[in-house]
Amino acid sequence: MMGEVDLTFVDEMVGRVGRTADKVLEILQGLQSHYGYLPREALERVCATTEITPASIAGISTFYDQFRHSPAGKHIIRVCVGTACHVKGAEQVYDAFHRHLKIPAGGDTDPEGIFTVEKVACLGCCTLAPAVQIGEITYGHLTPDRVAGVLEDFLRHQEAAPARRGAEAVEDGQVEGELRIGLGSCCIARGSGRLNEALHNAIEETGIKAAVKRVGCVGMCHQTPLLEVVLPGRKTFLYARVEPEDARPIILRHFKAHGIARKVSNAVSGVLDEVLAGGDGDPVVRYSIDVRDRPVADFLGKQKHIATEHCGVIDPVDIDEYIGKGGFEALAKCRELEPRQIIGEVERSGLRGRGGAGYPTHLKWAAVNRAADDTRYVVCNGDEGDPGAFMDRMLMESYPYRIIEGLAIAARVVAARCGYFYIRAEYPLAIKRMTTAIERCRERGLLGELELQIVAGAGAFVCGEETALLASIMGERGMPRLRPPYPAVKGLWGRPTLINNVETYALVPWIIRNGGAAFAELGMATSKGTKVFALAGKVARGGLIEVPMGISIREVVEEIGGGIGSGLRFKAVQVGGPSGGCVPAKLGHIAVDYESLTAAGAIMGSGGLVVLDESDCMVDISRYFLEFTQNQSCGKCTFCRVGTRRMLDILERLCGGAGKKGDIEELQHLAMMVKQSSLCGLGKTAPNPVLSTIEHFRDEYEAHIAGRCPAGKCRALIRYSVTDECIGCTLCAQHCPVDAIEMRPYEKHEIDVEKCIRCDTCRKVCPEKAIRVE
Amino acid sequence: MVRLTIDGRAVEVAAGTTILDAARKLGIVIPTMCFLEGCSPSTSCMICVVSVGASGKMVPACATVCEEGMEVRNDCAEVRAARVTALELLLSDHAGDCVGPCEVGCPAKMNIPEMIRRIVAGDMAGAIAVVKEDIALPAVLGRICPAPCEKVCRRNQLDEAVSICLLKRYAADADLAGGTPYLPSCAAAKGKSVAIVGAGPAGLAAAYYLTRRGYACTIFDERDKAGGSLRDGPGEDRLPHAVLDAEIAQIVRLGVTLKLNVRVGRDVSLDSLRGSFDGVFAAIGKTTAEAATEFGLKVTGKGVAVDGAYRVAGSNVFAGGDVIRNRQLAVRSAADGKEAAEAIDQYLSGAEVTGPEKAFNTRIGQLEPSEVEAFRQCASNAARQRVEGQAGLERAAAVAEAGRCLHCDCRKADACKLREYSQAYGVRAARYKGPRRPFRQESGHPEVIYESGKCIDCGLCVQIAAAAGEKLGLTFIGRGFNVRVAAPFDAPIADALKTAARRCAQACPTGALSLKKPV
Repeated sequence: MMGEVDLTFVDEMVGRVGRTADKVLEILQGLQSHYGYLPREALERVCATTEITPASIAGISTFYDQFRHSPAGKHIIRVCVGTACHVKGAEQVYDAFHRHLKIPAGGDTDPEGIFTVEKVACLGCCTLAPAVQIGEITYGHLTPDRVAGVLEDFLRHQEAAPARRGAEAVEDGQVEGELRIGLGSCCIARGSGRLNEALHNAIEETGIKAAVKRVGCVGMCHQTPLLEVVLPGRKTFLYARVEPEDARPIILRHFKAHGIARKVSNAVSGVLDEVLAGGDGDPVVRYSIDVRDRPVADFLGKQKHIATEHCGVIDPVDIDEYIGKGGFEALAKCRELEPRQIIGEVERSGLRGRGGAGYPTHLKWAAVNRAADDTRYVVCNGDEGDPGAFMDRMLMESYPYRIIEGLAIAARVVAARCGYFYIRAEYPLAIKRMTTAIERCRERGLLGELELQIVAGAGAFVCGEETALLASIMGERGMPRLRPPYPAVKGLWGRPTLINNVETYALVPWIIRNGGAAFAELGMATSKGTKVFALAGKVARGGLIEVPMGISIREVVEEIGGGIGSGLRFKAVQVGGPSGGCVPAKLGHIAVDYESLTAAGAIMGSGGLVVLDESDCMVDISRYFLEFTQNQSCGKCTFCRVGTRRMLDILERLCGGAGKKGDIEELQHLAMMVKQSSLCGLGKTAPNPVLSTIEHFRDEYEAHIAGRCPAGKCRALIRYSVTDECIGCTLCAQHCPVDAIEMRPYEKHEIDVEKCIRCDTCRKVCPEKAIRVE
Repeated sequence: MVRLTIDGRAVEVAAGTTILDAARKLGIVIPTMCFLEGCSPSTSCMICVVSVGASGKMVPACATVCEEGMEVRNDCAEVRAARVTALELLLSDHAGDCVGPCEVGCPAKMNIPEMIRRIVAGDMAGAIAVVKEDIALPAVLGRICPAPCEKVCRRNQLDEAVSICLLKRYAADADLAGGTPYLPSCAAAKGKSVAIVGAGPAGLAAAYYLTRRGYACTIFDERDKAGGSLRDGPGEDRLPHAVLDAEIAQIVRLGVTLKLNVRVGRDVSLDSLRGSFDGVFAAIGKTTAEAATEFGLKVTGKGVAVDGAYRVAGSNVFAGGDVIRNRQLAVRSAADGKEAAEAIDQYLSGAEVTGPEKAFNTRIGQLEPSEVEAFRQCASNAARQRVEGQAGLERAAAVAEAGRCLHCDCRKADACKLREYSQAYGVRAARYKGPRRPFRQESGHPEVIYESGKCIDCGLCVQIAAAAGEKLGLTFIGRGFNVRVAAPFDAPIADALKTAARRCAQACPTGALSLKKPV
């Protein structure tokens, strides 16, 4: 039993946040971070001291994934099970943590109470897949046998707890050049934070006059951490995958050391510095890449930066730099324009909502503009929840002012005095940067009368649905409701509300500055401009890309993405996440635009592109997405609440080797019913991944009924064995987490099928490709 | 005003009217479960979906506002299919039996739990009335029935089945021992007659139920006493003749004519009976091909061939009991007699002859041990009553035994919308199988019982409790497939619903919230 809970924090929190019913999420988030969970006594205390009712607090605190009702371990391990992580073995990693920590079946915390293991829908670090977050540290490219090492590393880190240096430290005015490092979440996860520290240390030690500048996401997530050396009037150098120990040699290569003898305490290292800085063919060259290099040119060449304008150049929260590059000009221009003129410009641009459905933006704006109510609201939907999508996170982390400017323009059009940014809680950096940016805009008086607030989500995918999102802002369970009435007529607190996605707002300033016609020149007949995509999965060069509408799937995968990294065959692209579908390789020629993707059984969605190769099982992919939507269903309407569960039952049966004749037909029947009669977009689109995979890969479904998984993915349908190629190196036996392989040096090894848990570790470590999966 | 059509019929309604209300104006009934006048539509159950416009978009009628020129379809295959699926999905996550497994297991489909509740309440007259709704010879069957009902009794999972058979015998014996044994009221005479051949359990039952329905019945039997196989089969120690005679006397007292010592096929031909009576019911017991031919019917397989409604194809002759199935199970024959009576009634009233309508029943099937524990709350913990030899139960023992019943039948079996629509739409309750919500029972509230396994998450009770100003009230706990309606902070329903309990139970479209005593 827990001891008595100290409730003084509750009173403090309530005093600080307020007592009205809409403050419930914020209060719960405060309690959760203070206590680590939501103690019953604390919740009751909240009810006793605020307008929040017991029914409301109980309903809300059990609706959102973020909240726990029982104490957790000291550290939380969040295993990302996003799409990219899933196809790269996240499930095996999750199992490995459970096994290694000896977590009892049905539980989530180890017996000592040190670690709690949770699944998280998507960390948005798709290029690091499979990724795991422990405390504040993100580990990428995990495998089951690296689990022990990662935990050890984390605990070591905890003990050391190095003091972090602020990124803003600039010494004086005489700067000879800039060192730009990406500080988006992906980059930080890949070590750019530590690199940042190393750079500062190296500068201090060498006395070099260089400024370290943090910039937003460059998009080349496959190459992170990236370091760009910018010397005025000279060529720019780009270094990829830079380690902290590379900081010093790189700096010395480009800058003249000033006080090196004074700063360096170790003579040997001083000598080494000179060698590295002077000589040809120095070891750091291997990190250097040039934008003229073929792969980099391919990655960047087809892109067009509008939402991501000045990508990799500007400091995300430096307001002067944003203003210096034309920021807030569009807003100023709009102050001179009538709302109908602004709407006209947006109409000319052909801009459609980037959140997924593609509704013409100007129509939405016009609807709110003419609504018969003086109080109106604007809302920015930053609840990007699709596993495999991280565009909005990157935009908020890298270009917060652009989004604020877009929203402020919209607020001017609809005469709203109050705006909300609803940002999912899994994006702490985005929340932090947006908060800072709003604060700075306010200080500069850029917002006029407009009041802006940030509401942090609490872990519910369905809150990306606009009516659910509005309910969540109002402090209710995030339950969607029937539309009409649309939010444009009846939104927040019953008032007309304009709600657009992050990317939509981010495109608006460019459109106003350059004219709608310039935007409409890009793209296709009905899909204008550009679209930001998160490219991940089995592609060689994953990352964040912004491309003109109409580019073909094949161009994206093969030219920008560099094809399949493993050398296996390109099988399909999953577009649009859990609401989307799989476009098979044979349809690679189709254009990326709203209508073509819909015709192919997918949807544009928010922009996740997960590339699949022939080792990916389409039935498993379908099961994966259904599991996700089923888990995220709000539970309101029968079709979604029960229908997706029953669809998942069938898919689990198929993947578990218990499929039977008629399952495909029953699955299709249910899918059609759920699609047709669910109340909101979540349910209406949840069957898409199932229907599109049945349409394009029906043979794989049939194979599963016959007891085979052609891709060798579904654990119940495959077995591992060792072939004659085995040289007896014992690596497999050493790495097997369940001792299913006996160590027999120089002899052919054997796998005990009974013990084997099909974690794939042996196949990954075998140097001779002697592990067969069938 | 807004003009629209529903199933092709035009209607004009005020702006803001829902499709449901517009349909009502046309007299078109759209089924609803989660909708209740006075509450805001929760658009949860989706049974009210209708198809709208050329695209055939499915929308919930309860909350969708009519638009000018809207074309709504309520009566079409697509809408029907969607409703069937909605019901089948709800049933796949429904932990509740409409009627007790005992009733399902009883060949005569007797409402056993209701009989038991009458005995517990000391209402023995009520108990025998319930029994005789389905069993014409309960004192007899109470002695010889192999009691399939007890084999499926849920109490088996806790200790031992309730002694259903002895309770029925007690109800019947107590009734006969009293001065005025129970005689049901009969419908007004319909002016039609039925000849029943054979005075065994099937024939006697058919006579009893046909007489109650207002038909003049004559039983023919070749022997000198009625009772058929019941008279000699079980033996005097198991079934004393006095008991058999007493129950036959009750049937005769109802107005049945007995013609003994008449062998149909020899003394009188079947054809002449068919001519002089409006209908014939052949209940001549186990027979041979020769005997049947002499009687006037053909035997195939196990006996005389009849359709699902006990009818010999294309004739006014019906047959039941061992003559059609050779089971030699008295309760099965008695059930045949009762069901054939309904078929004969349909035939004689000119209706389609289908036999009794098969009631829609959900079946939980096997319960988890924790689930069956939930039932214990409403039952006594006493062990099963023991009797010596062929003895019956004394009154006190009967009441004690009846107290062991778990009351696993649904308290809202007759007022449940889920059951009503499932029956009407002919759904397959077991079409989708998978994990389901557990059976739970909360009986601590003085007025209502809450069984979350039967909840369809419509939230009417949540709304009603909130509107009533309940301090705790009810709320949705969790999300998605695992969402449940419950009181906040695991509080008991008794604390959550101080004033609104009755209204919540009355509004509940299923048996999830039910009143403890019928109103």
